Amino acid sequence: MIPAFSSLASAWLFALLVPLIAFYFLKLKRPRVEIPSLALWRQVLSDQRVNAPFQRFKRNLLLFLQVLILILLVLAAMQPFLRREASRAQRFPVLVDLSASMAARDREGGSTRLDEAKKRVRELIDGLLPEQEMCLVAFGKSARRLTPFTNNQRDLRAALDGLATEDVASDLEEALQLAQALGRTAIFEKVLLFSDGNFPAKTTFELPFQIDFQKIAPGGSNYGIVALNARRAPGGQWQVFVQLAASEGAESTTGVIELAQQGTAIARQSVTLTGGATPRLVFELAGGPSATIEARLQLTGFDSLGADNSAWLTLPEARRLNVFVPESLAGYRHALSSIEQLNVFPQEGAVEPTSFDLVITDREADLARRARVRCSIGLVPADLSALVSIQQQNAQAIDWRRDSPLLQHVNLRDVVLMDQPTRRGEATDEPFATLGYEVLAQGERGPLLLERRRGETLEVAVLFHTDRSTLPYRVGFPIFVSNLVQAAWQQTGLAEARAIATGVLPPLAATPERSFKLEGPNLPTREARSDAEGQLTGLPVPRAGEYTLKGDDGSNRLIGVSLLSPPETGLAAVDRIEFNDQLSVTAATTVGKSDRSLWWLLAFIGFVALLVEWWWFHRPTISHA
Amino acid sequence: MNETAPQVTSLLTNRDLDRLGRLRLNVSRRFTNRARGEHLAAKGGASTEFCDYRDYTPGDDVRFVDWNIFARIQRPYLKQFHHEEDLHVALLVDASRSMLFEGKLALAQKLAAAIGVLGLRGGEKVSACALGEADRLAPSRGRSAQGKLFSFLERISGGGAAPVERGIESFLRQHQGRGVAVVISDFLTDGDLRRAFSLLHNAGLEIFAVQILGPSELDPDLAGDLRFVDCETTGHLDISAAGDLLALYHEYRLAHEARLTALCQQRSGKFLPVSSATPFEHVLFDLMRRKGWIV
Repeated sequence: MIPAFSSLASAWLFALLVPLIAFYFLKLKRPRVEIPSLALWRQVLSDQRVNAPFQRFKRNLLLFLQVLILILLVLAAMQPFLRREASRAQRFPVLVDLSASMAARDREGGSTRLDEAKKRVRELIDGLLPEQEMCLVAFGKSARRLTPFTNNQRDLRAALDGLATEDVASDLEEALQLAQALGRTAIFEKVLLFSDGNFPAKTTFELPFQIDFQKIAPGGSNYGIVALNARRAPGGQWQVFVQLAASEGAESTTGVIELAQQGTAIARQSVTLTGGATPRLVFELAGGPSATIEARLQLTGFDSLGADNSAWLTLPEARRLNVFVPESLAGYRHALSSIEQLNVFPQEGAVEPTSFDLVITDREADLARRARVRCSIGLVPADLSALVSIQQQNAQAIDWRRDSPLLQHVNLRDVVLMDQPTRRGEATDEPFATLGYEVLAQGERGPLLLERRRGETLEVAVLFHTDRSTLPYRVGFPIFVSNLVQAAWQQTGLAEARAIATGVLPPLAATPERSFKLEGPNLPTREARSDAEGQLTGLPVPRAGEYTLKGDDGSNRLIGVSLLSPPETGLAAVDRIEFNDQLSVTAATTVGKSDRSLWWLLAFIGFVALLVEWWWFHRPTISHA
Repeated sequence: MNETAPQVTSLLTNRDLDRLGRLRLNVSRRFTNRARGEHLAAKGGASTEFCDYRDYTPGDDVRFVDWNIFARIQRPYLKQFHHEEDLHVALLVDASRSMLFEGKLALAQKLAAAIGVLGLRGGEKVSACALGEADRLAPSRGRSAQGKLFSFLERISGGGAAPVERGIESFLRQHQGRGVAVVISDFLTDGDLRRAFSLLHNAGLEIFAVQILGPSELDPDLAGDLRFVDCETTGHLDISAAGDLLALYHEYRLAHEARLTALCQQRSGKFLPVSSATPFEHVLFDLMRRKGWIV
C-alpha cells in the first residue's frame, strides 16, 4: 500500500533542511579536550578506514538524526494516510441507533450496545481525513441530525459523547428518510448504519444510496414487561393483565412481578421465564378512585436491559356511566334500562352532572351538553345541512359498515325508514369526509348514519328518526344502543386502561388554552399548551418512567410511561434488511476499514528519534579530565 | 650513604644516589675522539689496561711489541690496550608544554639527573639542555658538578612551545664533542625526527632515546564528539565517535613507537618507551639495566 498525502502543500517545509544543516555545521558544540599533541590523532583521522562511508555516517549521526526528525515531522505535517476500503467515501452520514435495545449489556457490568457503536464511530472519527466529512445522525422513534457534514473531529466527538439511548423502538425508515433529505444538500453515496439490527427486516423505503450496515452484536439475556393493561370486571373490580417476554435464547430464570401503588406493593406473583416465552399474568384489583400502579419485574439472574422491567398503568375512577336521553326517546331509555352500570338522566330527584358520558337526543338544544359521545337522532347537523336534506319518504338502508363498532351485529336490512336523507350535490362521500364524517350506513339517496371524532368527543348522527322507522322493533335496536354505550365506555376510558408507551403521549384532556410543563426522568422540562378543545398533544416521552404534568392552573398529573415493546425486549436482531425494490443489505461482520492516518505514527517515530538525538547529544563523552 | 642525611636534590633520593654509585653508562659505540678521557671505549687505546694481541705489521710502533712472546716463538705480536676516551654525555630534556601532562616532565628530570650522575661519577663530561628553553648547562666534569646539574634540572619548568626536533637542532648548533645524547621526550611531534636523529648521529653522539607517555596517551578513555586542542600549538581537531577510533589510535601509537625504535637502532642508538606512571626506580634500576643502558 502506497500512502497518499492529504496536505501536500506542507512539503515546502522540507526547505527547513537547508538552515538545519547550515546551523549544524556552524553551531556544532563539542567538548574541548586539551591533549599533549594532535600528531597521532591527525594520523588516525587521515586513515582510510576512518573515512569509510559508515564511519562518516557515525561521525555525523547527530546531523542525520536531526535531519530524520525534520523529515518525519514534515511528512507528518503532510498528513499521510493509507488508502483503504472506506477511503472512497469523501462524505458519509453515520446513523447511530439509540433505541432501547442499544442499552442492552452483554454481561453483568459489561458495555452497552451503544458503547460499542460509539467505540466504532470514534475510530471512524479518529481516522477522518481532512477532505472527508461526516454527519452524525441519531435515530430511535424519530431521527435527528447531530452535526452537519464536517471533519471537525472535536465537534463530532462531542456529539458522539452526548448520545444516550432512548426507551423507544427504533424506526429505521425515519433515519433513512433523514439521510435522504441530507442528500438533497450534500452529495454522498454511502451511509453507515450502526445498530444492533433491532428493527423490521423489511422496509418500503426506496434506497437512493448504499448502506454499510455495521451490526453491533446483540446483548445478553433479557426479560421485561411488554404489555400492561386493565379491564373493568363485573362488580367494579379491575383485571390487570401483565405480559412478560424473554429474548430468544435467554437462559431460564425466576423472579417476581409486583404491582405497587404509591410505592406500596399491592400484589405480587412469582414467575419463571425461559428464552422466547411470553407469559401473561392476571391480577385482580379492587376498583376505586383513579390510581397509577407500577408493575415491577424483579429477577434473580442477569438481565441485560433495565428499561423494560417497570411499567405504569393509570386506572380510571370506578363509576357508573352518565347517560342523557330525553323522555321523548322512550325506546332508547327502555333499551338502556337493561344495561348495568348506567345512570340515565333525566330522572326524578337526581342532580344532573355537568357533563355526560353519552347523550342521545333528538333535540337540537341537548347537543350543546358536554359529553364524550353525542348521538343525534333525526337531526341534520348544521355543517351537513348544505350537503343533505331530509325528505318525508319511505326509504331503506342499502349498505352499512358491518365492521364498525357502532353497527356491530346490527342488521339494517328490511328496516323501513319514514325519513329519506337525500344528498344535495354530487353523489360521493367526499364532501362528508372533508368535514371529518365517516359514513357508516348508506340509504338510497344519501347517508343514513355518520360518525365524526372531534378531539375526545365522538359524534354520531342518525339522519333519520328511529321513531319513524321500524328499527326499534328489530333486534338490532338494543344492540345499537348497547354499542353506543360501549363506545361511551371506550371513549371515556372507564372500561379499560392501557399503559402508555414511550414515544409521544396520546392526546390528553386538559383545561383549554393553558400552559403545561412536563417533567420527566433525566429529561429537560418541556412546555406545551392545550388547544381550544382542551387537548394536549405531541408531547414526547422518550424515556420510561414517571412524568409530571404541571399546569399553570395548579393542576398536577402523574403519568407513567413504559417501554412496552416486544421487539426491543426480545432483542430481536436482523442480519439483512430487505427493501421493496428487491434490494437487500447484509450486515457487515467485520468493522469497515477506514483510511488509516499515519501522521501520528510519523510523529511518534520523530519523537523517539528526538529522544535518541537528545541522548546522543548528552551522553557521557569523556571519563577523564 | 646515611639515610638521615639531608637530601642532596629533590630529584633523587640519597638512596638512589647511593645505588647509582655502583653503576655506569654502557656505551657501545666506538668513538674516534682524540681527546683522552676516563671512559674505556674499545681496544687500540693507549691506556694501561691490556685488551688483546694482534700480528705485527710493518710500520707498527715497535714499543708495543711483546718481546717475551717474540723470544719464545720468534714471531712479533703487538699488545693492545683499551682506549680511554673523553665521553660527552649530553642530557636533552624535552621541556615543551606536552611534557607537563601527567608527570612526564618530572620523570624526565629524574632520569636526566640519574644519567647525569652516572656520567659525572664516571669522569665524563656532562652537559644538559632543556629543549624548548634557552637555558642550558655547559659541559662539566667531576662530582663537584653534580650540584650544578641538579640545580639546572630542577629549574626546568616546562611550557615551551618548540617541538623536540627543533630543540635538538638548536642544541647541536652549540654542542661540541662526541659521546652520548640522552633524549628524553614524548616524541609527539609532527616534525621530522629522522633528520634530528641523523644530526645527532652525525655529530658523533650515540642516541639514548627515552619516550615518556602519560596513561591517557597510552590508554585514552574517550567517547563521543570531541574537539582536541593541541596544548603547544593551540590548533584543534574535531573528532566524532572518538570511542570508535581508539583501536586505530593504539595502532598508530605502536607504529610511532616502532618507528622511533627503528630510527634509533639504525643509528646505533637505543630506545626505551616508558609510562609516566611507572616508578622512577623501576625505570632506572630495572628497565634500563635490562636493556643494557647501564651496567
